Amino acid sequence: MLDANIRKILMQVRDEAADEGIQATLQLHHEKSHLMRIGNNSVSLNTSEDLLRLDVEVTEGRKQGSQTYLGPIEDADTVRGILNAAREKTRMASPKTYDPIPDEVETSISEDNQFDLDLADLEPGVKAEAYKNIIEKLGRKYNFSGSWSSGLMEVCLLTTASRNEVFHRGTDQLFSVVLKHPEAKWELTNNQTGWRASDFSIDKTLDSLSKLIPVYENSDGFKAEPGEYTVIFGSSAVAEIISMAVYTGLAGRGWEEKQSWTAKYKPGEKIIGDQISLVDDPTNPETFMFGFDMSGRKRGIFPLVEGGDLKNLMYDSGTAAKYGKKPTGHDTGSPSIVMDTGFGSADPLQAVRDFGRVLYIPALHYMNIPNRSKGIFTGSSRFNAVLVEDGKIVSPIFSSRVTDSFQNVLGNVKVISSVSESVNESNTYGRRAPVALSVPSYIVSEGVKITDSADSF
Amino acid sequence: MTEANVKKEIASNISRISSEGADYVDARYYLDDSSETLLLYDGDLEANDTTVESGIGVRVLWEGAWGFSATSDPSGIEACFRKAAANARTASRLVEVPLSMGVREAVKGSYASPLEVDPFSVNLQDKLSFLTRLDNDLREDFILKRMVFVNFQKKRIHFQNSEGSEISKDLASVFGTILAMALDSDGEMQRRSMSLYSTGDGTAGWKMMTDPELFSGHAARVRSELAELVRAEPLEYGKRSVILLPGQGHLQVHETIGHPLELDRILGYELSYAGGSFVDLDSFGKLRYGSDKLSVSSYGSIANSPGSFGFDDDGTPERDYLLIDRGILVNALTSRAMVNEANERAGREVFKQSGGAARATSFYRAPIDRMTNVNILPGNDGSREDIIASTEDGIVVDNPVSWSIGSNREHFHFGCEIAWEVKNGEKTRVLKNPTYQGHTLEFYRSLSAVGDKSTWVVEQVNNCGKGEPNQVMQIGHGVPVVKFDDVVTGERK
Repeated sequence: MLDANIRKILMQVRDEAADEGIQATLQLHHEKSHLMRIGNNSVSLNTSEDLLRLDVEVTEGRKQGSQTYLGPIEDADTVRGILNAAREKTRMASPKTYDPIPDEVETSISEDNQFDLDLADLEPGVKAEAYKNIIEKLGRKYNFSGSWSSGLMEVCLLTTASRNEVFHRGTDQLFSVVLKHPEAKWELTNNQTGWRASDFSIDKTLDSLSKLIPVYENSDGFKAEPGEYTVIFGSSAVAEIISMAVYTGLAGRGWEEKQSWTAKYKPGEKIIGDQISLVDDPTNPETFMFGFDMSGRKRGIFPLVEGGDLKNLMYDSGTAAKYGKKPTGHDTGSPSIVMDTGFGSADPLQAVRDFGRVLYIPALHYMNIPNRSKGIFTGSSRFNAVLVEDGKIVSPIFSSRVTDSFQNVLGNVKVISSVSESVNESNTYGRRAPVALSVPSYIVSEGVKITDSADSF
Repeated sequence: MTEANVKKEIASNISRISSEGADYVDARYYLDDSSETLLLYDGDLEANDTTVESGIGVRVLWEGAWGFSATSDPSGIEACFRKAAANARTASRLVEVPLSMGVREAVKGSYASPLEVDPFSVNLQDKLSFLTRLDNDLREDFILKRMVFVNFQKKRIHFQNSEGSEISKDLASVFGTILAMALDSDGEMQRRSMSLYSTGDGTAGWKMMTDPELFSGHAARVRSELAELVRAEPLEYGKRSVILLPGQGHLQVHETIGHPLELDRILGYELSYAGGSFVDLDSFGKLRYGSDKLSVSSYGSIANSPGSFGFDDDGTPERDYLLIDRGILVNALTSRAMVNEANERAGREVFKQSGGAARATSFYRAPIDRMTNVNILPGNDGSREDIIASTEDGIVVDNPVSWSIGSNREHFHFGCEIAWEVKNGEKTRVLKNPTYQGHTLEFYRSLSAVGDKSTWVVEQVNNCGKGEPNQVMQIGHGVPVVKFDDVVTGERK
């Protein structure tokens, strides 16, 4: 856990800076991370990191500069040194053509309602044992890989604009296992997420994989020739599509600058199908809940799309300052995007009984955006993808590429699951910053464009 | 704690953990890992950031399993070693194929990137004046958005292992991009950009930034090409030849030669995140990857590139060797443990030695198999103009907008910033929204022209993502102009 003394040091330097009239934001980020990787039925890496970062941003009128430090913080002089480095960068900066909106911790917040000591201290041996059980129960004839990331993240944010402090402590985990057939090369996966150690259940993994193994063992692959298909997108695929659609269409910067696929529309106008509603809801427990953003602003429920209509755009403070708007609490990498559920059966196969031939694509691999203005995305099927006929799984499908627009895929939705799922979209490229979406467990879209397919899984 | 004391403590901990029974131990001590980013957006300084990191990463191999731990606290070195060893012991409870580093003599050495003017020593105001000049060069009435981005990196690393190796590295890299955007006749945003490249020689410092050929002299071209783009028709769907300029060709190589030839991917260690590879151990020496015109090297004796680093993070000196020889796959991007495992699994010597490709992005990440410099060697098909002149029906494309690759790198889809139509040997007009897609082997087997040395440049990649925990790596790609035939381009209606 974060040493209380470090928070005191930070407050001391914040108060000194405020007394000197310096406009500064100090953000302390502590992570205790663990990740176990599995490859070829073995633990291939078992890694622990305990890291402390301090970000200091200084504003002087229209000039800004920042300094990030990763290293030990033993005394106030260390923090003063980082503050002075940021001040020096600011002093030499060129002024912006607009007035930056000052960061301000509006009200003190201390939140740890998604903190679980058992997960923070989870023994690596527990993970090794779980993988061992999965491998033994499903059979060593398959090749197992995967990863299990878990950890603790603490953020303490102070600004010289007030004496308030916001503090967040939370835990998160993302478990994945991949089962690959060594000769046929098909791959199945199961993922689990949550903020408690008890959110993981080995039975969930065994149950999910056991159901699909016979389908893959007993059928050849189906090659979906390019054309239009009815597709069941599973929760991971839905989360990927929604994340990309939000990132490229609902951020204020892209909209103001006419780069986004929503740029031709105004709030209140229809951008996607009537059934689609999206909200950034930091109170939704299927997401990782952050009650404040990194400018110190309190975050609340923020509707983005209602019944297909554009409701609001997300403005970080820099964009808001540039375009004369109010910041909306989105100076953060951890939004809580929630897509409303519908009325479809909990079972996707039941939902498509009358749809004839359907592709079930649970996840999309390596999505990207060839044309942001038109909202065109592309990505390919990978794990657990199957052909369904009249509600029955017929065979696995070979790697198939979907290249289509958000407007088409989210505009031709015929069924939305009545059940929601949490999908963990965190990465570990930089500092620990968990992100999860709450989305329907599947959607069914008609007229989805398959533009290419391989002869293999 | 002084630098000397930290190194002493590292040495004593390596001895201790080794004497307790570890197969192998190493430590990377980052005395300094600094990065500076400056971003002018519409002339406003939107990023003026410096990051300074230091710390130690410890790797322990115990009964064939890796444990890793990292700390940024020099007073916690012993605890960090203990944690790495404990992690390795835990990992060794689930080992089917024990990993081995093999046996090797100690390596002592040092490497420093060629650096005439350290960008960190240049006054910030001078850097900002330079950026502002570039920004001004991009200004024109029809241009709606301008961006000038630069990033400077330096790393001072001390490596030590239980074999007695000791290596010091001073690495430096610079990256730069200029970009302009404007609305086309359909109200869609088009963009044109240019990123700093090198010839492979010279200095990795500030001088690259100010060299008009490598970076600072391209604004007028970017403006004029963007002016053509906003009036252009879209590329129609169809099969035709595709000529890749190095701005696009380097990413094609990166995604469909570099990644599939990382040995850890081939062996299945990246399946849960990055994916696998269509290449297997039987492919080496046999698989026709491309036409006879395709020869690909790793490293390629490039003196100045982010993919040149002297010694990898296993302590192996960087090597210069062929991956693909006249179309036939002959080698992979490899590290010590992966080479040993591959040879063991194949029951024969597929790889003679490590390719020196074990790299970690920071002290708090463990090394994995990465690209170094992965290069297409220059060919004999003349200049860019010669290749265009020999093309009946095709497009020339430059710079990626999007890239999406199949999980085993068997197929791909790329979107580019700009295309020039080629009809009967001549460039006829600019086309917007170009895309092309294909299947990797079929695509490289259709390689019909490879430009000569005059077309070959080293493009830099600053953001290659791979691994769990995720790591961003800096890489170089020396590529000439290349032409592929019968490629699916554009999107079906």
